[in-house]
Amino acid sequence: MNARQSYGRAAEETAARYLEARGWRLLGRNVRIGRGELDIVARHGSALVFVEVKARRTRACGSPEDAVTPLKRRQVARLAELWLAARPWALRGVAEVRFDVVAVDGTRRPAEVRHLQGAFTLDG
Amino acid sequence: MLARIASEALNGLEGHPVEVEADVVAAAPSFSVVGLPDAAVQESRERVRSAIVNSAYEFPSRRITINLAPADLRKEGPSFDLPIALAFLVATGQVNDGCDGRGPLAAVGELGLDGSLRPVAGALALAESLRRRGLRGLLLPAANAAEASLVRGLEVYPASTLSEAVAQLSAGGARPAPPADLAALLGSAPAGEADFSDIVGQDAVKRALEVAVAGAHNVLMSGPPGAGKTMLARRLPSIMPALTLAEAIEITRVYSVAGLLPAEAPLIARRPFRAPHHTISSPGLVGGGGTPRPGEVSLAHLGVLFLDEFPEFRLAALEGLRQPLEDGEVTISRRLTSITFPARLMLVAAMNPCPCGYLGDRERECLCPPHRLRQYGSRLSGPLLDRIDLRVEVPRVSPRDRRSERLGEGSVDVRARVARARRRQLARLAGTGIYANAHMSARHLRRLCTLEADAVALLDRAYERLHLSARACDRIVKVAQTIADLEESPTVGVAQVAESLSYRARSRHDR
Repeated sequence: MNARQSYGRAAEETAARYLEARGWRLLGRNVRIGRGELDIVARHGSALVFVEVKARRTRACGSPEDAVTPLKRRQVARLAELWLAARPWALRGVAEVRFDVVAVDGTRRPAEVRHLQGAFTLDG
Repeated sequence: MLARIASEALNGLEGHPVEVEADVVAAAPSFSVVGLPDAAVQESRERVRSAIVNSAYEFPSRRITINLAPADLRKEGPSFDLPIALAFLVATGQVNDGCDGRGPLAAVGELGLDGSLRPVAGALALAESLRRRGLRGLLLPAANAAEASLVRGLEVYPASTLSEAVAQLSAGGARPAPPADLAALLGSAPAGEADFSDIVGQDAVKRALEVAVAGAHNVLMSGPPGAGKTMLARRLPSIMPALTLAEAIEITRVYSVAGLLPAEAPLIARRPFRAPHHTISSPGLVGGGGTPRPGEVSLAHLGVLFLDEFPEFRLAALEGLRQPLEDGEVTISRRLTSITFPARLMLVAAMNPCPCGYLGDRERECLCPPHRLRQYGSRLSGPLLDRIDLRVEVPRVSPRDRRSERLGEGSVDVRARVARARRRQLARLAGTGIYANAHMSARHLRRLCTLEADAVALLDRAYERLHLSARACDRIVKVAQTIADLEESPTVGVAQVAESLSYRARSRHDR
C-alpha cells in the first residue's frame, strides 16, 4: 500500500467515525462486489445510504467532491443495485435510498469533513 | 404510491389524451420518464426537479418513474412539465387530488426552474379537445387562460406558479377564469389604416379586387413595375369583410398552435394578411419541419396570402400551393403521423409581365430576349394558373390620372358592398362549414347556385372555344355567383358569367 492509498484508508476511517458519531449504523465497509468496492453502506433512520468517500491532500486536482466523476457515479450506482439485489431484506423499513458523498478535505488543518446528502442518483 | 393526472398531446391541431402516471418507490434513487418522450420531455425532469425544490416541496431520494400513456404516441414539447410535477407531488403524498367524485382536472404547462408556469402553444386546440372528451376542467398557465376560456363548456383554472397550481388541484379547482366575452373580443379589431382611395385610376383592377375579396377568390395581378400592384394588395385588408366568430376561432386555433398568438389578444379578430418574401422555402410556405408547423398558407387561413414577384418564388414552393388552393387544407406526412392544417386562403399574386417589366407597355419597349420570356412564363405551371380565378392587368397609371386631384372611392363604401355580398353567401352556405363562394365544392355548386338558361349556354360555348378545364368552369361559375351576390341578384345571369369569363381570359402576353 503506497502513501496515497494509505491516506485514502485513513480518510475512510475518518468518514466512518464521523457518521457513527452522528448516529449512523454502518452495515458494511469496503464491501467488495466483483472488481468494485462500496466504501460505506449505512442506515440512518429510515434511509439506506451508500456512501462514497473522497479525500484530497492538496488542491492540485480540484476539490474532493469534484473527484466523483460521472463514471464513478455509474460504478457506485451499479454496485449498489447489485448489493440490493443480493439482499432484498435490506429494504425492510426503508423509506428512501440515497447516494451520499463524504469529502475529507486535507488542505485544511485539521482535515475538514463535508457530507453531501443525495449527491447523485441512478440517472446522474 | 401511484398517482395519475390527465393531460393532452397535440398532433397538429388534433388533441390526443395522455395520462401522466407517477410511481414512487423506495429503491436506489432515480428519476426516469418513459412513454416515447422526445428530448424536450426528457429535459422536463430537470425543470420539474428544480421547480419542486424551489417551490419548497420535498424531492425525496427514491425511485421515481413517470409514464406517459399511451406509450405508442410520441410526446413532444414542454407542456407535460406541470402534469408530471403534480403527479409526482400526489404520488409522494405532498398534495391531495381534491377532485374526488367531481371528475378529474387535466393539466398542461411548462415549468421554469423557479416554479413559475410558462405558456404553452396550442392551448385553444387542447381545450377544445378536452371538452370533446368530456373533461370537467383544465389547469393551465395563467398566460393561456384567456385563450382557453374561448371554449364554452370547459372550466379553466389558471395558475402562474406551481404552488398556485397545487392549490387549485387540492381544492379540485377553486378559482376559475371568467368565460371570455366573445362579442367584445371580436368587435375590438382595429380598422385598416391604408385606404383604397389612395390609389388613383385603376378602376377595372379595383372592381376585380372587390369581386375577389367578396368571394375569397384567387387573383393574379400583372403589370409593369410601379403601376401600383403592391399598393393595391396592401390595401386589401381595408375592404375585407369582418370575421364571423366561427372564422375567428378557426384562425386563432392555427395561430395558437404556431405559438404566434399575441399575449394581449386571445382571439384573432382580423383577417390575416401574410406577405412572405419570394425567397421563402417550400416548408415555410406550405408548412413542415421535423415537428410539423403551419406554414404561411395556414397562417393566411380565411385571409389573404400575398405573393409579390410571383414567378420568382421557388418552384417547389409554387407547386406546393396546389393542394391548399384546391382542398383548402395542407397535409404534411411524416413517418409515423400525418398532420392536416387548414389553409382556406385567398391568394393574391403579383408579377411583372416579363423580366424587364415592360412587355405590352404602351410607351416603353420590352428589352427581354425571347428565351428569357419563355423561361419567365413557364415558371408558372398550367395547373397552378388554372387555380387562379381572376387575372387582371395593372397598366401604368396614365399621366392624366396621375395628376388628378380626384380621390377614388373610399374603402368604407367598398367594404360595405363586400360585407353585403358575404352575408348573402353565409346565408346560402349555412350549415356547410364554409364561409365564401370560392370554397364551394362541385356538389355545393350544383345544389346552391342557380344559373339562368342563357348563362349556361354561354358557359358551354366558352368551355369548347377556350378549351377550359372542368375545374376552370366550376371556378368561373363561383366568381359569377359572387358577382351576382354583389349585385344582390338571386340568380346568375349571362352578364355575370361574361364578366367572370373576362377575368379568366388569357391576357395578351400570357403564353
